[in-house]
Amino acid sequence: MIKARDISFSYERGQSPILKAVSLDIPEGGYVALIGPNACGKTSLLRHLDGLLIPDSGEVLVDGLNTRDPGALKKIRQLVGLVFQNPDTQIVGTTVEEDVSFGPGNLNLPSAEIKRRVETALETVGMERHAKRAPHTLSSGEKQLVAIAGVLAMKPRYIAFDEPTANLDPTARKRVLEVLKKLHREEITVIHVTHQMDEIVHADEVLVMSEGTIVGRSNPGEILPRVEWLKELGLDAPRVTELLWQLRRMGAHVTPEALTLDDACEHLYAAIEKRGQRDR
Amino acid sequence: MGVTGQYIPGDSVIHRLDPRVKIVSTVMLSVLILRGPVAACIVLTLFLMVLVAVAGFSFRFLTGSLRPVRFFLLLFFVLHLFFTRGKTIGPLSWWGVSVTEEGLAEGMTVVWQFSLLIWSAAVLTATTSPSELVMAIDRLLNPLKKIGIPCHDIATMASIALRFFPVFLDEIENVREAQAARGAEFKTGGPWKRVKAASGLLIPLVFSFVRKAENLAVAMEARAYASGPRTYMKDLRMTGTDYAALAITILLTGLLFFSGNLL
Repeated sequence: MIKARDISFSYERGQSPILKAVSLDIPEGGYVALIGPNACGKTSLLRHLDGLLIPDSGEVLVDGLNTRDPGALKKIRQLVGLVFQNPDTQIVGTTVEEDVSFGPGNLNLPSAEIKRRVETALETVGMERHAKRAPHTLSSGEKQLVAIAGVLAMKPRYIAFDEPTANLDPTARKRVLEVLKKLHREEITVIHVTHQMDEIVHADEVLVMSEGTIVGRSNPGEILPRVEWLKELGLDAPRVTELLWQLRRMGAHVTPEALTLDDACEHLYAAIEKRGQRDR
Repeated sequence: MGVTGQYIPGDSVIHRLDPRVKIVSTVMLSVLILRGPVAACIVLTLFLMVLVAVAGFSFRFLTGSLRPVRFFLLLFFVLHLFFTRGKTIGPLSWWGVSVTEEGLAEGMTVVWQFSLLIWSAAVLTATTSPSELVMAIDRLLNPLKKIGIPCHDIATMASIALRFFPVFLDEIENVREAQAARGAEFKTGGPWKRVKAASGLLIPLVFSFVRKAENLAVAMEARAYASGPRTYMKDLRMTGTDYAALAITILLTGLLFFSGNLL
């Protein structure tokens, strides 16, 4: 469990804080989505979870370890992995396997163990055939998968993804999202920051951030159909939800509750059928 | 065959040797080349040719690796040829500067020694991957830790420099294209104009790399990087072959030094 208690933070003293008394619990095994407009504090919040940033006030506890305790930081960073938006500046090694071994090497694990973990991590993300390649010869999607493998090799309990698909083409995006779901199935807690609402319709919980505070917290079925509210915050709803919302505004008898294409089809089909029966 | 200094992947005995053995051997051979008797150069030339053959490279590797330094070789030769005091060769003397027999001999020796240095270094870097080199240097410098030299950090820095070198080249190309698309010209005009155009690349490049460095530092910290000792996936362990190779180099170096005293 990661617990954040009333954390406030500003990058420079006297500046208005980027985080304002944020509290949240992230239970083990969940898939938590974090959404919010640009500069609302999402990235700063993630960086608090593994002690890259220390709150000005309040506390972050990772499985009971306080990020304020310098002696606990190595363990915290092993427990909480972080994957960033740009894979280019996360890769340190001159080959794929060497990069994946960077984290376990920092944990001072024996060579045989590092080798095992590198192999397993690369298999999990489907990059085992590319182990010997140089990072600059990979596509953006492949680089992001390597970055994920690099975190996996540290055997974290939680992985926070900061807009992991923002720089990727649709195919690569799909591949990365598949890996995220797979990790969740393998009981790694996923914290997923994104602007693409379609990516998080299956999440267990959605946290909505605005101006340094959490303004909404519920399951996707509850949060995502609130199209107007999301728009006010500068966010989008999933495409199909927005479609239903627009139709409703035009007077159609539909409710914008569907989040996926399949659900929306069913909903629309039922509505059309009903209308047809009435007309007959 | 690759650029001088570039790693050429392979699976020969030499490729598989412990990188520490290869570095120590290269250093020993270099001392021998510079300080040993001239006769040693003949033996070392043959020795290096054998190494190149065993590593599975063609002999073009030898000429190829001298290409980038050919002007230096020529310069060394010419300087020695003209500026060594001694017996003038026939009529080859102008304005007090003359070609001497000693100069000719000295020039040839220096060029030969310099070529041998390049060859031994080229065999090292062509058969050892950059990451192995970094790891070996890390281990070899380990004793320096006691006098406060952060050898682990130096090794990590070297490895990152190797990783980002190709990224740097790509970035230069990106910035150059972005500027060319807006009408900057890099390939026309006199030399001064070209230098000015190229200097316009500098500021965007510096900015881009400072930002990259910041992001990389955060990502490294997130992966539990901390100053100090770390472990590697490949462990360096000396095998029988490694000891044998080390013994051969020590024997060769010792014998050739000794032979200089006898002759």
